[in-house]
Amino acid sequence: MKKSLIILTVIITVIAVASCNRVRRTPGRTYMPDMTYSRAYESYASTDALKKEGVFYNARPVTGTMARGDEMPFPISEDKPGDTVNYFASRQVKNPLNVASIDMTEAERLYLVNCGICHGTKLDGNGPLYKGGDGPYPAKPATLVGDAKYESMPEGQMFYSATYGKNMMGSYASQLTTKERWMVIAYIKSKQVKVAVTDTTAKK
Amino acid sequence: MIPCKPTSRKLTLFAFFIFIFSGIQLSAQDGKALFQQHCAVCHNIFKPMTGPELMNLEERGPWSDHNKLLEWVHNPAAFMAKDPYTTGLHTQYGIIMTPFPDLTLKDVDAIVSYINGEVAAKNSPKGPTTGVAGEEKPSTSSNAVIFGVISLILAIIALILMQVNSNLKKLSDDKEGILRPEPVPFYRNKIYIAFVSIILFIVGGYYLTKGAIGLGRSEGYQPIQPIYYSHKVHAGINQINCLYCHGGAWESKQASIPSVNVCMNCHKAINTYEKGPKLYDEDGKEIDGTAEIQKLYKYAGFDPKNSSSWDPSKAQPISWIKIHNLPDYVFFSHEQHVRVGKVQCQTCHGEITAMNEVKQFAELSMGWCVNCHRQTKIDFNYDSTKGNKFYSIYEKFHDDIKAGKMDSITVKDIGGLECQKCHY
Repeated sequence: MKKSLIILTVIITVIAVASCNRVRRTPGRTYMPDMTYSRAYESYASTDALKKEGVFYNARPVTGTMARGDEMPFPISEDKPGDTVNYFASRQVKNPLNVASIDMTEAERLYLVNCGICHGTKLDGNGPLYKGGDGPYPAKPATLVGDAKYESMPEGQMFYSATYGKNMMGSYASQLTTKERWMVIAYIKSKQVKVAVTDTTAKK
Repeated sequence: MIPCKPTSRKLTLFAFFIFIFSGIQLSAQDGKALFQQHCAVCHNIFKPMTGPELMNLEERGPWSDHNKLLEWVHNPAAFMAKDPYTTGLHTQYGIIMTPFPDLTLKDVDAIVSYINGEVAAKNSPKGPTTGVAGEEKPSTSSNAVIFGVISLILAIIALILMQVNSNLKKLSDDKEGILRPEPVPFYRNKIYIAFVSIILFIVGGYYLTKGAIGLGRSEGYQPIQPIYYSHKVHAGINQINCLYCHGGAWESKQASIPSVNVCMNCHKAINTYEKGPKLYDEDGKEIDGTAEIQKLYKYAGFDPKNSSSWDPSKAQPISWIKIHNLPDYVFFSHEQHVRVGKVQCQTCHGEITAMNEVKQFAELSMGWCVNCHRQTKIDFNYDSTKGNKFYSIYEKFHDDIKAGKMDSITVKDIGGLECQKCHY
């Protein structure tokens, strides 16, 4: 009797100690769950219950509407796979923003956050993801400054690539608004101009 | 000077070899530079990207003849018209290669020899081993278990010895004929009972208080996510900006979880995990990064072998598990803290760039919030170019700073401790 009691205590203690794992996989309990966890729909909450009640909801803006303060959407639609008609048509589109009034520090911030990771902080197509071929990204990102192809590329065509993606590059329409994308392109163009100017002066 | 002669001859021979080898090195370097400048935007050596992979290209189509390769590179559209192989490639990839009329035959040779060199380096067993072996394998903490078992055994031994001691004493007493009252067993001994109950009270009280305070707090919460996504690899090693994926932290209340298309911006091309360190989960089990990327492809509905036909609108959301949860009665906005307050992400989320599996770093209690509001100083300086002009309305504080009555303004001074700032 006594022996079995001791053995039982030993087993319980070992289990108790072993279960004190330092990794915490549960969030724990709360005093009042209905005040801690929102009754209303929070961001990213599952909306399956709405569907059961027959409510249509897909979290997308109504077609034909646009956000307040944003620029008019890009007039050219995406090419079908294998087609490049619209890609070339986009050359005619001009930047609707007044380039002189763009806040270039904000444009630079947007570039560094969203583009610099591949195209490099110096716009040399050698960001931390490519790192001269040593990074994980298997393709060389476009050299925005120093490559004649991109220096001479019209801003509309750049905007097309940023909006719909081009080759390995994905679409940035979900991360940057129309206005922000035009700001970034104005920033890239301003950098390209600067380098071109310094190059010609160096040759002289 | 006789023994000198062979040495000098050796030296010239040596110098000659160095010259030759450096020449080879140089052309390989050239090939790499040319490859990265012209080809790497669309071609990878080992896998198809925008265009086909370039591994073993001399065995395909007409490319064993470098003159034909040069002709193709100079004008792909014209070459395609008379070559069935490249026409087939066009239908497969849906795109014609960009012409590079500047390249010479020597350039093409250099590029092909660079590609062949890379292929040979990858195939040779001595090639660069990927990943840093045996890096930071988490130690299994079985020490606590061992200590617990040892102290338990010692306690049992002490108890048995005490029992033996009292039995022996009783035996010797019986032998000497001394009559003593029957000893009280330890579980009825009042001193023992008092001692044990005090210890129980202290230990129980400690755990009860700790548990009560911990109710509703989840510091250290580290759930198993549907995909083993390592912030260490993405934000740490590869230096992706936090705002690249969590852009909402700059312009909204929510930091926002990236949708699958944001992952696919890079993972359309990166479909294996091979260049980073080995990954382990919290239990010390090794994680196969490539298999985790495959999980992403399942959500995205993406087939790496047929990447051009991917339709992002068919992707399914990944049901990540929310770690940081503020109670419903607390208002918190990321924008106010990150953009206006210029608080670093790491202040509240810990060293995210060193976490493989994210865990809750801060306790997210009210005391923790209030403490930070008491201590954090506000950058009150502003002029037309920088700083926050909003703070100009606090005229009294500006006067006090000028008069030397205050040296700094904290969040508390501009209402950071008002109840209705966060509870309304």
